[in-house]
This record gives sequence, structure tokens and C-alpha cells, in this order.
Amino acid sequence: MAVIQLQDVEKVYRGKVHALRGVSIEVMDGEIFGLLGPNGAGKSTLVKILMTVIHASKVSGTMLGNPIGNRKTLENVGYLPEHHRFPYYLTGKQVLHHYGALCKVGRKERNSRSSSLLTRLGLAGWENKKVETYSKGMLQRLGIAQALMNNPTLLILDEPTDGVDPVGRREIRDLLAELREEGRAVFLNSHLLSELEMVCDRVAIMVKGRVTMQGTIQSLTVDSQRYEIKIAGEMPAWAKEHCSEVHGNMLVCKGNDPSIVQPILDRLRSENITIVSVNPVRENLEDLFMRAVDNTDSPGAIQ
Amino acid sequence: MQFKALLIDAYRQLSAAKLFWVTVGISALVVVAYGSIGFNAEGVTIGFGAYQIESNQLREGSPWARGLYIGIFSSILVNIWLAWIATVLALISTCSIFPEFVHSGSIELTISKPIGRLKLFFSKYLVSLLFVIMQVAIFCVGIFFCVGLRIGEWNPIIFAAIPIVATFFSYLFAICVLVGIVTRSGITALLITGVFWMLLWTIQTSEAVLNRFVIQQIVDIERFDEGIITATEELEKIKTVSSEDFRISKLEKRIESFQDDSEEASELLAELDMWHTPTSWVLTLSPKTAQTIGLLDRWLSDPDGFDIAAIMNGDMSEFEGEELEEFDPTTRGARERETMRRMRVDYENRPLFYVIGTSLLFEGFILGLASWYFCRKDF
Repeated sequence: MAVIQLQDVEKVYRGKVHALRGVSIEVMDGEIFGLLGPNGAGKSTLVKILMTVIHASKVSGTMLGNPIGNRKTLENVGYLPEHHRFPYYLTGKQVLHHYGALCKVGRKERNSRSSSLLTRLGLAGWENKKVETYSKGMLQRLGIAQALMNNPTLLILDEPTDGVDPVGRREIRDLLAELREEGRAVFLNSHLLSELEMVCDRVAIMVKGRVTMQGTIQSLTVDSQRYEIKIAGEMPAWAKEHCSEVHGNMLVCKGNDPSIVQPILDRLRSENITIVSVNPVRENLEDLFMRAVDNTDSPGAIQ
Repeated sequence: MQFKALLIDAYRQLSAAKLFWVTVGISALVVVAYGSIGFNAEGVTIGFGAYQIESNQLREGSPWARGLYIGIFSSILVNIWLAWIATVLALISTCSIFPEFVHSGSIELTISKPIGRLKLFFSKYLVSLLFVIMQVAIFCVGIFFCVGLRIGEWNPIIFAAIPIVATFFSYLFAICVLVGIVTRSGITALLITGVFWMLLWTIQTSEAVLNRFVIQQIVDIERFDEGIITATEELEKIKTVSSEDFRISKLEKRIESFQDDSEEASELLAELDMWHTPTSWVLTLSPKTAQTIGLLDRWLSDPDGFDIAAIMNGDMSEFEGEELEEFDPTTRGARERETMRRMRVDYENRPLFYVIGTSLLFEGFILGLASWYFCRKDF
């Protein structure tokens, strides 16, 4: 079942700046969905439309089965905005209580949930300290705790690892995996590709207000799978005809079936050419991202 | 639950600011200073009996003592402390509430919660006003006990200062909110609210000055017309006795002079009306801060007592008393007193809807604009 189903979302600022140009995405129940794209691609705008922070110029679709913009739906959605700012005069616990109350979470539940979340996010012992004394990473973790206060079915996180150290990032990745196991859907908005690659079940790449690619990393990179055969000595003349590409002493055969390289390897051996290495290669998310960006005029810029 | 959360948050925000406690502290000092004034058989005591001012009229139990003590509250503490100094401090304390609220990074956290923007806006507005209500309430409780203990009058009307001052503050705060939401700057909101307040003061002062001139001309015209009637009657009496009486020409000249003065005053009145009428309309459409605060004075004043407000306006009739009866009613001084009396009656007879209703309509318009902007804004 889709927790987010968006069709043809458009956002035009002041009638001339097209932030979103017909975005359609689908996020399934219990998956971690990553939205990536360069700065200014429209990722945050899309998230803010989902959270009613921004009004879309055109939107159709649903979130948790209700139309986009439905306030009641937000009771079951947790949200961590990018560059969030908590009131400086509140303590960590007060932050959780305040935003929990705004989400209509009862007092008893707030008490128990805030304690467990602070412990889960590694903030135990800091609950009664003012947030102005927190580090960037701690604020980020508190932000995630705040997003979980209403025990949401869907969690929308905008750059959750921003400013977090490597250990903290790993903890957040583990937390996201746990949340997925609990059956929650996580919508992750980030430009940290390695982070997304490690946790996301599916991704969408957004460039210039459009979703250019969407699917599992496996399905998006299937066309880029290839075998690279490195040889010693001179490249045989027949190589160019039988391989997809030839670079220096490297032969490239596109495809993910190992049988395609067997005849080439046989021939290389029969001609006594030394095979240095044979590597199955697949694009990673960064390559995929760069390809998506390169296919446009300029990276990410909205016009 | 959501309103309560916003209320607690507003309290935490304000109490985190030192100025909040400074204002509470000064309020407490003002109450203590007020409470230090007392009355005994010899007159007035100040500083809990440290200084004695002997007076035959201002002694314990006298209506003048009551008038002085209540008057200090309604005319000085409310008009100067609450309506000026405490209001400025409250504006400084609260001017950043909405800019902080709509600040990038914090507004997203709040408006992404299951609470409508309109409800959120007005809840925030009301809880911000509660700050002022709380401060004035604490102040009024102190004053209530001071008045009760010092002059034995447990007057609940003192608590009318709470809604009056809160309403007065809300006129200004509405502007502060609108500017704060649009510019996201507390300092800009404070400065523009200050300018707006000065503008209101200018409108109200202009209306009061023009109104005074208009009433003065009306009083003058009435006196001149009365003079014409009296002189004409006298002239006719003389003419019935003798048509060649030497007083006839004098009286005719006098009547002519009165007629000229009356015509001149009428012309001036018409000219003043040209200015006063539009000024009155502008005042009708704008918040009437002075008149709103003046309501307390109106409700607390005792017609038989000592009127400190009148004394502050230069009317010493309370002290001069009987001597005034000997004054010629046609003199300039009498006309001035009549003008002041009519002005006072005019302002006191202005209905509550005119004073508060129209001001709240203006405030409603400004809040409507601000809430519309807040609801439509992409953050």
C-alpha cells in the first residue's frame, strides 16, 4: 500500500520561478524512500508541500490515504525539517513535550515516550539541559526524537544526518532500519548519496523540479552493469568489435550475464594474452546521480 | 491541549527574557510606593509614615482623600505607568514573539503539526496578550489591597484596568504582529509600532485640540447671542421710556459688536469644522488609545470627590470652590471653564462602542490582514 502517492505536483513562485514541474512519486508502506537531488532541485519544496508548510500550485494525490493538505493526517506523520531551530529557552525534554502536545499526544504518553526516545537517540542525561547548549549533532538527534513523539506511521526527514559525526550517522542509519522493521515508512530527503545508498529501498532523483529517475537502486543501475577485463600487453585488434568499449588495456562488456564475457576470455587465453583482472562493475548511487544531473543542462538549478 | 502547549511556551519564552522580570519588579516597586501613601487625622503620610503632609481636606475618611488615592491610581498609575512605561516594556518584551515564531527553521516545526494555521495564529496572539493581562492582573491585585487597606474601599472596579489595559495594548500589539510576521524582525516591528503609536497620539491630540476650539467657538457664539438678546431687551426697555436716551447708541454699538463677534466666531467655527470633521472621522476609524485608558478614570471618578485628572488639566475649581460662584459668567475664564466642562461631558458621553468597538474593529482588520498573510504564506 502506498503511504504517499503524488501525481503531477507543481509549484510556481510568484508566477515565474518553477520549483516543481509535475512531480509524481510513490512511497510504499514500510520502506525507506530516498529523495535525492542537487541543491535547489526542489526536494525540500516537495517535502514542505506534504507537510502543508508550502501551498502547491497544483497537487493531486494522497498521504496515508487522505488528500494532501489534510491536517488530521499530520497526527500520524513525523517531520524533521532541514535547518530546524528549537526555542533556545527550552530543555530537550520540554521540546519533546511541546511538539508532542501540538501533535495531540496525551501527557502520560508524552512523559513515557520522551524518556524512551531521548535514551534511544543517545540523549539520556541531557533531557533537562537547555537546547542552546546542545551540539549540532545532538540537535539533529533531538529533531528526530521530536518527529517520533507522535509514534508516526510515516516519518519524513529532511537532511537528518546534516552536521552529525560518522558515529552519529551510523546510529541514525541503524535507527532508520529499526523504524522500517517496526513497519513505518521513512521518506528521506538528502544529498548524502552514500548514506541513502546504505539504507534506502527505493530512491527518486530530482533535478530542476522534475523526478528524472525512480525505483530501486538495483533496477536503476541494471543498464549500467558491465564487466571490465584488464589485460597485460597490447590490445588485440578484434577487441573493439566484440566488446562494448575499449579503454587502453581495458575491455568493457555491458550486461549483467557472466556468459557474455566467457567467449572473450577464451579467445584472450587462446591468444596467450595475460588477463590481469575481470571485474563485474555496477553503477553506484553517485554514478547514477551524476548521470541524472549530467542529462540536464545545469545541475539542479531551478529556472 | 494545543492551546495549553502554546500558552506554556509563550510563558517560557517571556520568562526567559530578563525584561519580563524587570517589568514585574518595577510593577512591584510601583505598588509598594503607592501603598506607602496613607492618610491620618493630620493629613497625608508618605513612605509608610516617614513624611507627613498636613492638610485639612486630605485627611483620613474624607472624600477628598479617597479622590486623591483613587485618582493617583486611575490618572497616574494607569495613565502614565500602565499606559506608557509598562506598555513600552511589554512591547519590547513581546515584539519578538511573532518574528521568532515565523523564523525559518522554527515555523516549519509548528505548522507541520495537526493544528490549523488560523487557530495557531490566534492562539499565539491570545497567549501573547496573556502576558500583559498577567502583568496588569498582578499589579491590580496589589493596588486593590492598597486601596482597601488605605482608604477602606474594596473596589472591584480597579480590576477593570485589566481588560482596559489589555485592550489598549492589543491595538498596538496587532500592528506589532502584522509587521513582525511580514518582516520577521522584532526591531522593525517595535519601531513601526512606535511610529504608529505616535501617529495615533497625533490624531487624538489633533482631534482634542480642534474639538476644544470648536466647543470654545460654540460657547463664544452662545455668549455673544445671549449678549445680543440681553442688550436688545435692555434697548427696547430704554426705547419705551425715551427714544433719545444716550445709552441707546451705546447699546446699539454693543449689539453690533456682539453681532460682528458672533459672525466672526461662526465663520471661524465653520472653518474649524472643516478640519475637525475629517479629523473626527479619522479618529473614529483608528484605535482610541487615550479614550480607552480614560474609561477607567470615567468609571472610578467620584463626582463629589477630588478630581486629580481635572487638576492635572489645570482646572483648580476643586480648590477654589465657592469663590468661583462670584465670577462673572461672561468672562473669558468662565467661558474657558464652560469649554472644559463641555469637552469633558463630550468625551464622557462617547459610547463604549465608539471608544472600544471601533478600535476593536480596526484591530480586527489588522489581525485579519496578518492572519490572512500567515495562512497564505509559504514558509
